[in-house]
Amino acid sequence: MEHLEIHPPPKPVHPSAEVMVRTRDLYKSFGDNHVLQGFNLDLFKGENLVVLGKSGSGKSVLIKCLVGLLSPDKGLVEVFGQEIPKLNQDDLDHIRVKIGFLFQSSALYDSMTVRENLEFPLRRHWISKTRDEVDELVIEALDNVGLKHAVDLMPSELSGGMRKRIGLARTLILKPDIILYDEPTTGLDPITGREISRLIVDIQHKYNTSSIIITHDMGCARIVANRIMVLVNGICYAVGSFEELKNSDDPNIKPFFD
Amino acid sequence: MPRQEAKAFRDFLLEVGSISDFTARFFREGFKPRYEWSELIRQCYVIGYKTLPLVGVTAFIMGLVLTVQSRPTLEEFGAESYLPSMVALSMIREIGPVITALICAGKIGSSIGAELGSMKVTEQIDAMEVSGTNPFKYLVVTRVTACTLMLPVLVVIADCISLYAAYIGVNFKDVVSLDLFFSKVFDSLVFGDVLPAMIKTYFFGFAIGIIGCYKGYNSTKGTEGVGIAANSAVVVSSLVVFILDLIAVQIADILGLT
Ligand SMILES: Nc1ncnc2c1ncn2[C@@H]1O[C@H](COP(=O)(O)OP(=O)(O)OP(=O)(O)O)[C@@H](O)[C@H]1O
Ligand SMILES: [Mg+2]
Repeated sequence: MEHLEIHPPPKPVHPSAEVMVRTRDLYKSFGDNHVLQGFNLDLFKGENLVVLGKSGSGKSVLIKCLVGLLSPDKGLVEVFGQEIPKLNQDDLDHIRVKIGFLFQSSALYDSMTVRENLEFPLRRHWISKTRDEVDELVIEALDNVGLKHAVDLMPSELSGGMRKRIGLARTLILKPDIILYDEPTTGLDPITGREISRLIVDIQHKYNTSSIIITHDMGCARIVANRIMVLVNGICYAVGSFEELKNSDDPNIKPFFD
Repeated sequence: MPRQEAKAFRDFLLEVGSISDFTARFFREGFKPRYEWSELIRQCYVIGYKTLPLVGVTAFIMGLVLTVQSRPTLEEFGAESYLPSMVALSMIREIGPVITALICAGKIGSSIGAELGSMKVTEQIDAMEVSGTNPFKYLVVTRVTACTLMLPVLVVIADCISLYAAYIGVNFKDVVSLDLFFSKVFDSLVFGDVLPAMIKTYFFGFAIGIIGCYKGYNSTKGTEGVGIAANSAVVVSSLVVFILDLIAVQIADILGLT
C-alpha cells in the first residue's frame, strides 16, 4: 500500500473529545422485523467511525434514525447534544443543515441539472450568498469529486459511479460538521473508490468533520477508519481499530476481513 | 357481516382520514413563510401549458358537437334562435368546468402522482428533508396551489373556445354574425350562472392537486407503487370532481342561484 504513505492517515481522536452523536438503547422494528435492538453508539468530534454489518442488518436504518427520517421505537438519539425525536420541525431543520447525508442510492433530483442539485441545499442560505459565491461553491464541490465538466448534465445522463460522486458533492457543499456516508464507494471501480476514500480523510482534516461511514469495502475502511464498529443482530457487537478487529478470531467479525 | 367488506370499509375510512390530515397539513404549512414563489410560478406554467392544447381541442369539439346535435330538437319546436343561449348555458354552467376538470384529473393528477411517487421511492423526498428544505412546502404546497389557480383559467379559456366553436356550428346551417351570436349568448347569461360555475372550478383544482400529491407523497413498494399512485390519483380525483359537482349544484340550488 505505497499510496497510503503519501496520503495522510486518519486523524487520531483526542481522548477527551466532545461527543457529536450518541445513541443509547436504540430500538427500531418494522412489524415483526426487529432491526435495531438496543444499539449504542458514540461519535466523537473529529473522528471517522466505520460501521460494518451484513446486508439488511440495519445500517441504513441506523443513520436514518440519526437525522430523524425514521423515528426510533425506543431509546435515546442525541446529535449536538439535542434529542432528535423531541425536536420541532424548525429546530430539526436547523440541525439538519449541519449534517451531511450521502444516500446509498445517491437520491439525485431527477428533474434538476447537476448544478441545480448542488444548489438545492444552499437554498436556505440563499439570501446571504451572491450568485458568484454560489457558483464558486458548486465548482469547488464538483472539483473535489473530479466532475467539473458534468455541471450542466441531467442525472439521467450520468453513470452510476458519477451519480454517487455528485451525491457526495451535494452532501459536502454545506461543509457540514457531521457527515453520514451510506456506502460511499459501493458501485465504484477500485481506483475511484480509493480516491473517494482519500477524499473522506481529506475532508476530515480540512474541515474537522466527524463522520459515520457505512461500508462493505474493507479497502475503504482501512483508509478512512479511526474506529470500526460491527453491527450484528441489531446491537453494537464490537468496536476497535482496523488492526484490532482484523486480528480477531470471532466468527461474527472474521468474515468481514477475509 | 362479511369480513372482507368490513375491512374494505375500514380502509376507506382510514384513507379519507389520512387525506383530511394531508389537507390540514397543506393549510398549516401553506400559510407559513417562506413561500416558494419561483417554484409556484414554474408549476403554474407547467400545469397550464401542458394541459392547454388538450383542453382547447376538447372544448372546441364539445362546443361544435353540442350545437350541431341540439339543432334538430330545437328545430322541432321552432326554437332554433335559442341555440346560442342553450349551448352557452350548458357549456358555461356544467360541461366546461366538468370536462376541463376531468381532463386535468387525467393529465395533471397522473403526472403529479407519478412524479412525487418516483421521488418518494428513490429517496429524493428524504434527501430534501435532510437538506433542511421542507419538501411538503416545496413540492406539495406549490403544486396544489398551482392547480387551484390554473384550473379556473383553463375553464375560462375552454368556455371561450367552445363558444366560438358553437358559433361555427350555428353557421353550418344559418348565417349569424359573431356580434349577433354573442349578444344572444350574453342576453341569456346572468351572474348566477357564471359565479357558481367559477367557484366550483377552484374546488375541482384543489381536489385534483391534493389527491395527486397525497397519492404520490405516500406511495410505497418501489416502482410498482409509482404506477399505483398515478393510477389511483386519476381514479379518485375524477370521482371527487363528480361528487363536488353534485354538492355544488345542491348548494347553488339552496342559495337560489339556479
Ligand atoms: N421503510 C421500511 N419499511 C419496512 N422495512 C424496512 C424499511 N427500511 C428498512 N427495512 C428493513 O430493515 C432491515 C434493514 O434495512 P437496512 O436498509 O438498514 O439494511 P442495510 O444494513 O443498510 O443493508 P444494505 O447493506 O443492503 O444497504 C431490512 O430487513 C429491511 O427490510
Ligand atoms: Mg443500506
